[in-house]
Amino acid sequence: MSLPEPLTAAAPAPATAVAAVWTVASFQLRRLLTRPRLAMALVGAAFPAAVMLAATRAARGLLETDLTVLMLYALIPEAVCMLGLLVTMCPAVADELERGTWVHVAVRPGGRRALLLGTYVAAVLWTTAVALLATVVALAVTPVQDRPGVARMFVALVVLSCAGRAALFALPAVIMPKRALVASVGLALVVEYLAGVIPAVVNQATVSLRLRSLLVAWMGWRQKLPAEMQLLVDTQPPWVQVSAVGILVVVLLTAAVLILERRQFPPSEEL
Amino acid sequence: MISLEHATKLYGSVIGVNDVTVELAAGAHGLLGPNGAGKTTFLGLVTGQLRPTMGRVLVFGRPPFGNASVLRRIGYCPAADLTIRTTTPFEWVRYLVRLSGFTAAAAAVRAERALEQVGLAAASRRPLVSLSKGMRQRAKLAGAIAHDPDLLVLDEPFDGLDPVARHELVELVRSWARTRSLIVASHLLHEVEALDAGLAVILGGRLVASGTAAEIRAMVDAMPAEIRVRCGDPRRFAALASGVDGVEGLRIEVGGVVVATRHPAGLYAGAVVPAVDEGVEVSEIAPGDRSLEGIFGQLVRLHRGVKS
Repeated sequence: MSLPEPLTAAAPAPATAVAAVWTVASFQLRRLLTRPRLAMALVGAAFPAAVMLAATRAARGLLETDLTVLMLYALIPEAVCMLGLLVTMCPAVADELERGTWVHVAVRPGGRRALLLGTYVAAVLWTTAVALLATVVALAVTPVQDRPGVARMFVALVVLSCAGRAALFALPAVIMPKRALVASVGLALVVEYLAGVIPAVVNQATVSLRLRSLLVAWMGWRQKLPAEMQLLVDTQPPWVQVSAVGILVVVLLTAAVLILERRQFPPSEEL
Repeated sequence: MISLEHATKLYGSVIGVNDVTVELAAGAHGLLGPNGAGKTTFLGLVTGQLRPTMGRVLVFGRPPFGNASVLRRIGYCPAADLTIRTTTPFEWVRYLVRLSGFTAAAAAVRAERALEQVGLAAASRRPLVSLSKGMRQRAKLAGAIAHDPDLLVLDEPFDGLDPVARHELVELVRSWARTRSLIVASHLLHEVEALDAGLAVILGGRLVASGTAAEIRAMVDAMPAEIRVRCGDPRRFAALASGVDGVEGLRIEVGGVVVATRHPAGLYAGAVVPAVDEGVEVSEIAPGDRSLEGIFGQLVRLHRGVKS
């Protein structure tokens, strides 16, 4: 081994923040491309189609479009996206600590921020891909009117669900990395499925309210909803719902980054 | 280069580093201490992973925690093993260099070069999981040096290396230290001794000694030397030795006595000769351990308040 003259210690390129995030995202995506992960993704993508097939058979092909869309909504933007993000986003920091890679990244300039945001991007891309595949397969086996229109709507709902929920799960990932999965399940139940259906100000800060409202608006169900159900959706136009999810993403990710940049993990071997 | 002023790091009620004040100039430094002494916490403070609970830590004149301009100049090779399964050393090092702010093309060149430097070029495309611990250790080192930092911080870098690889790595680190700065933490004195580095000894989170190896030897020379005397009647010999000028401590063991004295020659004249005259069989007189291992042991005992 020898040590030649150092390469010119070039000043890092200015656009490093975005480049670093993409570096982490592509690294994480490569790590996800393992046979067990791909098998899990395929099972996740096939699951809604299997349920829809069973439901269609049980209804002898007479499943109404509204009911079909509602079932697909529960199965894909809710179940598949949630489960996919629990697996990919929750261990954002815990995996790094477990694999001994955290310190390597934490001592790089901007490494902590890049790690969180890069993992977020990877989790959103991976889960969105799985959920979109699930949508395509499910719509292929399910009789539904205006299939292209329904498909377009689900693309939007899936993207918003993944972006919003991944940002939500970023918080437990940085606050309690070693119990992030349990904390995220709790957070999903309490925030998304409990606070999200409370007709009060608190549900304005949930992704589930926005997705439900978009579904109702795009399917033209608003007039059909009974009065008590009207309380469970927001009557603002779709662009407001989309913007609200965007604001939620920015706020949640900013909070998570600020927390992670201040986190200190003691070297366990010394304690 | 590195300045700690009354730096203390607490993890709840557990002390990681306790009121450490030290100035480390540019150059090579060895951080010595047994496992759990606080070495990794010390390095965590220096490399910006941890913030001091009290006191101040400056590296290149600035606090390192969250400071990109300082972190850019540090290369850190932690003690923990890499357990990522499918990634290759090349991908890993390139990834770290990219995170240091280099372009993809520059990162690839630097990764290749660093892996070559640590002798891992041939295995650079094999998954890390298929490599020996020593090879993974080299991959970690390559990740620490690939961005050409001004300060290289190594935590137990020779752990798991075979003797040949250890020698090669020592040479590499020594050549590094000729032009740039280095801190090596180890619990093995001979590893640090081989690097011709200044020494800082840490125990229980406290810095118990610092300086060059010669300075630390001088410090120990000022301490009472330990003389181990094997004899037939340790109690009688201890009684004789206790009256000798310069003797500061006695410890009776099975078959002998350990005497702490500032005047070993006086012990011979004042205790050994009279003991032999009285018929006490003296079979061995051995000086205390003056190697660095021995010095370390003495410093540790001194810190604990044990004279002999």
